[in-house]
Amino acid sequence: MIQGEFFLDNTLMVDKTLRSGQKVNYPGNVVILGDVNPGAEVVASGSIIVLGTVRGVVHAGAEGFEKAVVLAFRLMPTQLRIADHITRPPDDELVGENFSPEIALIKDGMVVIESYEGNLGKLLK
Amino acid sequence: MGEAIVITSGKGGVGKTTTTANLGTALALMGQKVVLVDTDIGLRNLDVVLGLENRIVYDLVDVVQGNCRLKQALIKDKRLEGLYLLPAAQTKDKTAVSPEQMRNLVGELKKEFDYILIDCPAGIEQGFKNAVAGADRGIVVTTPEVSAVRDADRIIGLLEAEGINNPRLIINRIRPKMVRTGDMMGIEDIIEILAIDLIGVIPDDETIIVTTNKGEPAVYDQNSRAGQAYRNIARRIMGEEVPLMNLEEEGLISKVKKFLGINR
Repeated sequence: MIQGEFFLDNTLMVDKTLRSGQKVNYPGNVVILGDVNPGAEVVASGSIIVLGTVRGVVHAGAEGFEKAVVLAFRLMPTQLRIADHITRPPDDELVGENFSPEIALIKDGMVVIESYEGNLGKLLK
Repeated sequence: MGEAIVITSGKGGVGKTTTTANLGTALALMGQKVVLVDTDIGLRNLDVVLGLENRIVYDLVDVVQGNCRLKQALIKDKRLEGLYLLPAAQTKDKTAVSPEQMRNLVGELKKEFDYILIDCPAGIEQGFKNAVAGADRGIVVTTPEVSAVRDADRIIGLLEAEGINNPRLIINRIRPKMVRTGDMMGIEDIIEILAIDLIGVIPDDETIIVTTNKGEPAVYDQNSRAGQAYRNIARRIMGEEVPLMNLEEEGLISKVKKFLGINR
């Protein structure tokens, strides 16, 4: 089996938008084919990929998997957690400006968000 | 066989009851046989908005508990031939009715009426579950406020869980001027989050307050812009294609131009 470094070996595909009050909790990776709206929550022990906009709360690597990433077409979460790191956007950030895929991951013990250019492998360095 | 449409929002005070009264009246004005069902047991309002409060003898709870026949509880509108109201009880609470009972009740009403409009209470508890139980379609009302849109999103999810897919959206109380200056969420902003089909936009209109207090829906008022918007939505419910009305208030100059036939 081919398995990358960022993912666990089981994945849940969700083919709809998560709306306020809806929650996905899965012991593996989660792929959402839709948006994660404000008030919705995704908790995964692996990585989270959202083919849409993240406006709600996402928690990747929920059981301590520090290699977990959050990848989305548009990343503007209420709160973003990876393993036991919790981040939120700065209060004065202009939201809704960026519309390019971004990836959140832990680098040097800190959650960083970078624009994603289609090469996950490059981030290993 | 009629069609049951639940009108809901999650948040209170966004205009569910006003919308129910106006859409029901507009549908009846177009010759449809319509019944409005108030499911806000304990906090009924629809009767007041329609000016029918003083005619209530029996209510929805009496019907489901078998204290009276359905026909006895239906109140005929004082103006329109084809419009009826099934009022909520005021002295009971939401637990007086179960979703199963509502489903049966709406099923009965569908035999008699073309449209059953169900006015849903605010919230997501028993009252909401009762209101959606018998519905075939849903209309979600929101206002251009972050809190109302958030609740609408939650409600859309809950409607889908109840098997009511792709509800339609009404955006109420929009102020084009404030949208233009960036002080109010615009239609596109709301649609982007909720991602459901729009069935109409109601401009913020003072005539609504006047007509509601008089117990006379705004759709009767030919000069009311909100009334016009509701009439358009009623036509869309019946399957007509009606373009969204121009929300901008007509200034004096454009009125004169229109009069002289020099548009734009």
